[in-house]
Amino acid sequence: MTTTRRPSADDPRVMLDQELGVFEPVPPYPPRTEREAEFYTLGDGEMFINMGPQHPSTHGVLRVVLKIDGENVVDLDPVLGYLHRGVEKLCENADYHQCISQVDPLEYVSSLFNEWGAVLSFEKLLDVQVPRRAEYIRVLSAELNRVASHALFMGWMALDLGGLTPILWSFIERDEIVEMLASLTGQRMLFNYFRIGGVNGDLNHDFMSRLGNWMSRATEQIEANTGLLNENEIFVRRMRGLGTIDTPTALRMCFTGPNLRATGVPFDIRRAHPYSVYPELDFDIPTRDEGDCLARYLLRVDEVKQSLRIIDQCLHQMPDGPIMAKLPRLLRPRPGRAYSAVEGPRGQYATYVMSDGTDQPYRMRIHDPSFIHLQSVGLLMEGNLIADTMAIMASLDPIMGGVDK
Amino acid sequence: MDRRFKARLDARFGEVLRGPIRQRHDETEMRIGPGDVVPVMTALHDDPAFRFEFLADLCGVDTGDVMQAVYHLWSDVTPDWLRIIVDGLSRDDPRVPSLTFLWKGAEWMEREAYDMFGIIFEGNRDLRRIYMPPDYTSFPLRKDFHLPDDAARSPGGGVRHMEQAHLPTDTPAAAIRRTPASRQLPSR
Amino acid sequence: MALTPNHPDEKPATGSLVVADPTDVTEPIVVPNTFWDSTTPGAYTGSLEPDHTHLADFAASGGGRRDDARWSGVLEVIPTKADYVLDLIRMNSLWPLLSGLACCAIEMMSAATSKNDIDRFGHFPFRASPRQADVLIVAGTLTTKMAGPLIRLWEQMPEPKWCVAMGDCTCSGGRYKRSYSTIEGIDRVMPVDIYVPGCPPRPEGLIYAMMKLQQLVKQRRGHWPERAIGPTVPEDV
Repeated sequence: MTTTRRPSADDPRVMLDQELGVFEPVPPYPPRTEREAEFYTLGDGEMFINMGPQHPSTHGVLRVVLKIDGENVVDLDPVLGYLHRGVEKLCENADYHQCISQVDPLEYVSSLFNEWGAVLSFEKLLDVQVPRRAEYIRVLSAELNRVASHALFMGWMALDLGGLTPILWSFIERDEIVEMLASLTGQRMLFNYFRIGGVNGDLNHDFMSRLGNWMSRATEQIEANTGLLNENEIFVRRMRGLGTIDTPTALRMCFTGPNLRATGVPFDIRRAHPYSVYPELDFDIPTRDEGDCLARYLLRVDEVKQSLRIIDQCLHQMPDGPIMAKLPRLLRPRPGRAYSAVEGPRGQYATYVMSDGTDQPYRMRIHDPSFIHLQSVGLLMEGNLIADTMAIMASLDPIMGGVDK
Repeated sequence: MDRRFKARLDARFGEVLRGPIRQRHDETEMRIGPGDVVPVMTALHDDPAFRFEFLADLCGVDTGDVMQAVYHLWSDVTPDWLRIIVDGLSRDDPRVPSLTFLWKGAEWMEREAYDMFGIIFEGNRDLRRIYMPPDYTSFPLRKDFHLPDDAARSPGGGVRHMEQAHLPTDTPAAAIRRTPASRQLPSR
Repeated sequence: MALTPNHPDEKPATGSLVVADPTDVTEPIVVPNTFWDSTTPGAYTGSLEPDHTHLADFAASGGGRRDDARWSGVLEVIPTKADYVLDLIRMNSLWPLLSGLACCAIEMMSAATSKNDIDRFGHFPFRASPRQADVLIVAGTLTTKMAGPLIRLWEQMPEPKWCVAMGDCTCSGGRYKRSYSTIEGIDRVMPVDIYVPGCPPRPEGLIYAMMKLQQLVKQRRGHWPERAIGPTVPEDV
């Protein structure tokens, strides 16, 4: 089937006296599912608006088709897949060690949790005991990564509402933490630090001095950063009461992490199904009851404070010893299956690995919290304005690398 | 490893299980057939002795012979994760009842399993492709889908139809490796 | 909830793009699995016509190899020192398009914020609209689904425009080189001026790339006469 190619209407030199192709967000085939038919049927006075894969929000390439009635959003259809890189298939052709670095860029802001989820399931398959010092270093670096991720969340939350200053402050915070982690792991972002049976390198002097430096100022710094927003009337009034979700609906939508705790359920995998050395550490699980955007934001601020407590305890209780278990270089686990979940800054990050006895996993399934949370944007958008779409999406804190895998 | 939990599962679901309940580390695993999904999951969700109200994960698996759908559940009556493997889905027409009647959040997970494997979840109102473009004709995570790579065991041998590969201007022609299928591409 | 259907007596708005009846659906597509072959033309990309872009034809026709952005008309008599001034102006205010795709976008944002500041080079305003942008910094993996929209964005940018491929995934496919759904390097679908390797490159690396781009702009090298899709390395770079 040949089609004649007209000059593209996007070429700025073309004079538009010819009829354009219609650039509607409606797909060019008849609807295939009930939901598609229901969504792509316009009521009276409604229209479609496409918030395309490139948009000023910073979450990544997400395309959202909005059905609007004036300024109110009637319905919403997210279209994913613009960042689908085929990680699960690549992991099937890669070693277990290579899989750890393959899962890094999924939730790229909190890479260590991705690695932790993968490494925990591999250790279950191989029945490996991780040395205590390695566990403490894992908890320390992961909680630092959680603080960095939540700092970034605060910046993005404000940026999506239009505030340009908090993102700069968040990035200052994040740059400090990330430089610390770079002196520990060698990389600013996709760390590739955890190994099966331990971690890659021990704590060093540069890291400890930067960490001590940062810890001494951390509390006031966080107070200053969040004080910029918590007392801002525009911010609070825009977010209060927006996107409210209650507990039974949240459980039905399979929410985890801060989004679930903001509805009142104190479910945290570090306490509900403990892993690593979290049973020895003393921290609280903050919850809030309202379930709106403001609650989700304030809850993450509380979580940062709890993370600082954990980091403090790790530093005081750090045992001596090896940082890596003794393992053969070529890893061939027995055939079997393993599932493990960690509490990432966005929710439950889980990995399900099937081994067939060779040195490559047979099936590596990665369960990502952002993917689950993005389903409920349509639910939360009921009756809200277009400008609130970004606020609600930002408060759920999705990372498109994880959503699209 | 919760032995009493295993005993309770055996007592309740013994007839529909397709194999013994296995436990390893902190996971308990049971296998059922696709016809038993709805009664078993409803019982696990509603029965006050089990109260599995949290669906942690839903995925598909291609074992080469059969397909499987794997669910992971969590409840506070047991410290174990519960894994339910719906076994015995045929590779030509894998159909499983959908879990969206219990958990609306399973909708996208089932869409992903359909997109990657072709497993049809009956009752899912929105079973269309989620990652790949809507007109894509293959199911990437199946074991007969080979990566477009020279090293994979694929007759295509590195053909990537979407792109035109251009090499730097001073590459000698002899250095360019040609596979039979890639001779259709424009030569440099 | 917004998912309740319309009242059954209500007629939807007219238009050929609208489905007549909310319950009117076609059969879901069920593709039997046994006959997939990697050599069939739609094996990895599907059967619909791709997004309508004309970039490949435009590159083949040679139209892009003209220098469009010179003074024209009566201003041609201005001696070429004015071109030098024009290039200085351009190089010191290259406004990037906000097109971060994946992890490299975080490092791009980090380069734009206080600690590594590209505002001092004039590059801070990340424009949301391609019509107002000069540079397309492609930061992150380009997948086959996103290639159409990205090429459309590139075409919508008015000349003079430059492209920076940031990160390993855009230079050559990176760690996803063997994947079924990524493009092995954006130079296969767009002309690229600067490649920044790294996974992700440090913000200082991106700053170095922007400074290199400024140098290229000032010296008018590697640009219009030689620009084409594909890796083209100009002389004495």
